[in-house]
Amino acid sequence: MTSSGKRFYAGLLALAVLLALLPLAVSNPYYLNVFNVVALNVMVVTGLNLLIGYAGHISLGHAAFFGLGAYISGILTGSYGWEPWLTLIFAAAVVALVATIIGVPTLRLKGNYLVMATLGFNLIVSVLMVQLDDITGGPSGYSGIPPLSLFGHAIATDQSFYWLAWGLVLVGLGLARNLVHSRVGRGLKALHESPLAAAASGVPIEAYKVKVFVVSAVYASVAGSLYAHYYGIITPATFDIFKSVELVTMCIIGGMGSLWGGLFGAALITPLPQLLAVVEEYKDIIFGGILLVLLIFLPQGVVGWLEGKRMRPGGRAF
Amino acid sequence: MAALLRIEGLSIRFGGLQALEDFSLAAPAGSITALIGPNGAGKTTAINCVSGVIAPDSGAVDFDGEAVLGLPGHKLARLGLTRTFQNLQVFGLMNVRENVMVGLHADSHGGFSAAMLRLPFLRRQEAAIRERADEMLALFGLEELAGQPAGELAYGDQKRLELARALAARPKMMLLDEPVAGLNPAETEQLGELIVKIKDQGIGVVLVEHDMALVMRISDQVAVLSGGKLIAQGPPDRIQQNPEVIRTYLGGGEEFGLLA
Amino acid sequence: MQNARLGRVGPKERESGVSFGEQIAQYVVSGLTTGAVYALVALGFCLIYNATRIVNFAQGDFLSLGGLMAYTFLTGAGLPMILAFPCAVVSVALVGALLERLAIRPAKSRQVMVLIFITIAASILMRGIFKHLWGKEALALPPLSPEVPLKVLGATLTPQNLWVLGMTLAAIVALLWFFNRTLTGKAMRATAINPSAAALMGIDANRMTMYSFGLAGGLGALAGVLITPITSLSYEVGVIMGLKGFAAAVLGGYGSFVGAILGGLVLGLIESLTAGLVSSVYKDAVAFVVLLLVLFLRPGGLMGVKSGDRV
Repeated sequence: MTSSGKRFYAGLLALAVLLALLPLAVSNPYYLNVFNVVALNVMVVTGLNLLIGYAGHISLGHAAFFGLGAYISGILTGSYGWEPWLTLIFAAAVVALVATIIGVPTLRLKGNYLVMATLGFNLIVSVLMVQLDDITGGPSGYSGIPPLSLFGHAIATDQSFYWLAWGLVLVGLGLARNLVHSRVGRGLKALHESPLAAAASGVPIEAYKVKVFVVSAVYASVAGSLYAHYYGIITPATFDIFKSVELVTMCIIGGMGSLWGGLFGAALITPLPQLLAVVEEYKDIIFGGILLVLLIFLPQGVVGWLEGKRMRPGGRAF
Repeated sequence: MAALLRIEGLSIRFGGLQALEDFSLAAPAGSITALIGPNGAGKTTAINCVSGVIAPDSGAVDFDGEAVLGLPGHKLARLGLTRTFQNLQVFGLMNVRENVMVGLHADSHGGFSAAMLRLPFLRRQEAAIRERADEMLALFGLEELAGQPAGELAYGDQKRLELARALAARPKMMLLDEPVAGLNPAETEQLGELIVKIKDQGIGVVLVEHDMALVMRISDQVAVLSGGKLIAQGPPDRIQQNPEVIRTYLGGGEEFGLLA
Repeated sequence: MQNARLGRVGPKERESGVSFGEQIAQYVVSGLTTGAVYALVALGFCLIYNATRIVNFAQGDFLSLGGLMAYTFLTGAGLPMILAFPCAVVSVALVGALLERLAIRPAKSRQVMVLIFITIAASILMRGIFKHLWGKEALALPPLSPEVPLKVLGATLTPQNLWVLGMTLAAIVALLWFFNRTLTGKAMRATAINPSAAALMGIDANRMTMYSFGLAGGLGALAGVLITPITSLSYEVGVIMGLKGFAAAVLGGYGSFVGAILGGLVLGLIESLTAGLVSSVYKDAVAFVVLLLVLFLRPGGLMGVKSGDRV
């Protein structure tokens, strides 16, 4: 294994230890809830980062994939009594299919057509969630979703969900890291820099772009399914276009193309609305202002900037 | 000699400009076929048509006994047809070794799921890819620079890196678009020797080049394009005597002195 | 976001005994009115896109601000409408230019992706400021002239309908004159076509980009002053209008002026006719279904020559 590989797994191990110790220090369920939401966001952002940081395409529809995962899982287990884990996989498969349908026609074009298509897609999904109220419960949401269970134990508390969600985050980070450091990951980086030369080197550029988009959508769908079972109630507002913007923001603030950056961005931005709630009146001004300043002066993201300082020649640190 | 690459009747118009008109060429394996002509004669257009970057209006391209016109670039690479670019296309943010490793995409396997699960066969393959990449770097004298971001290399090193990347996957034929443009005489000399070495491995080379001295020294056959049409074809010494070629070059105001 | 009310003619009218032809005429009138406003917003998207390749997600906020400024000039400063209107347009144009000067020009990255996100951040910030200054409640901006309904071909036309159509036409003519007849306009076009060649001719590209943002701000404000008396005015009214203007721009062929105008009108008509004849429930989804269909089937848009560039 390469030294950067060792460093990544050492980082992952350190994170695991930190996560294992955290509940000992923090037993307040309110904070555990925040950590759990962070975990779900990290999961979405990890997938999104593969798309943005490696294939160089933005999606403003990931909240819709997140929401589709949540609604498919919620409705099929709640109204039709499906088995939750199998439903999670079924939802991911449906989302993968939807992402393929959106990705195939738009990703073969030159230019940022994906961002336009995903934006439109998210708006349509939001309207459907509200208007199909017979199925979705309309604007007030869908409730009565059963919790997940593992080995016969229901994952019904903040504590038990904490272990599940963060365990899956670690797995998700590991899988993403493997992808990045494989021939496929190299091909993705190459097509981002020069599609012409990547194709001439044997990289199937159109297929790779669609596949990485699908993988990132599946990350979002899985997180959405977990979300539905965790809260037991889901509302359309959770999955609107502003959530999509927030998710991409997490990627950019942390550092595009840096998996640790995504983790950092999600951990930084998720609790921000709650923290800013004390200054409710100025919430958007402060959030927008911070975002603006960071984007203008630190476009490579916080972690990207730190990595750049530490090791200029030699590329990425994970 | 059986042709590895056979181009038949290629034509393409860009608006009012007939960039290629009924262009045919046969290039064998283990041999250097040079494609020369004044600026705007259609040389790069021909390469772009063959390599799937643009689609011609009509014509056919056979490679290794298969009709390949319309195939995307990565399929051609898999069949053993790779290319370099006139304006450099190295992956600037990736390091030099990684650049060559990308070149081995055509010669390796394993998709998204296998990669995410890091299946054992991929680990073995990755080691082989690395080994082959280092072999290429040694051949092109780039081993010292292996860990450097490719974008920070000197121009001449980037030119060689592109060649190393195109050769890495053991292609049957390489299309080289002005590989020595912008290089100094010493670098040109060195790269010329490398191209001959590639040919000696049995690989077919199609060489688009303006450096007449190099073309005449290393090519086995020369094809001359002018205004999108093939005006002459033959061994270098005969091409140098061809009156139409001489006229084209004098008329085009190019440095004909280099032919000597 | 789903309940933004655009146009005032809904399915209700069907019960009141008007003929089918009159209904259609009414849908066309309201469709063209909102369509004209979409066209103005789409033109703003085009201007900035042509100058910078950026999709400016703050375009909708220019619309909100136009309405809000007009409201303040009218009720706060007590100006008559004839002054409040141009003051609002000019002040939003200045805000647009400032956005370029303070957020786009100093940006360390020239990556389009990052610049697009700067406009999104600016949009969040602007909405926060609007909410702080004007509050969350809906405000009422009066129409440009007293409401005396007219009957034309069975459709009820209000003076504001005519104002919207007339002012949009005037704005288009003014833009044409500006880009074809003035030196600055020609310089902006030159920069859009070939920035480096324009720079060699001594054109300051940054300045031209700033003018584009200013013009886009002015167009957005114009749209805001025209449409908010018909819909309603609030700090976030521009969000949904901006997104629909964006859909109109894509429908027309992103970056094409003629396409933006056509796309706006066509989208307005499609929306109004589906709302009237099919169902108003999915009215807000129609624009985005159209957007997806265009991207899938004809990515060059109505004015696109060919179906988008392949990689």
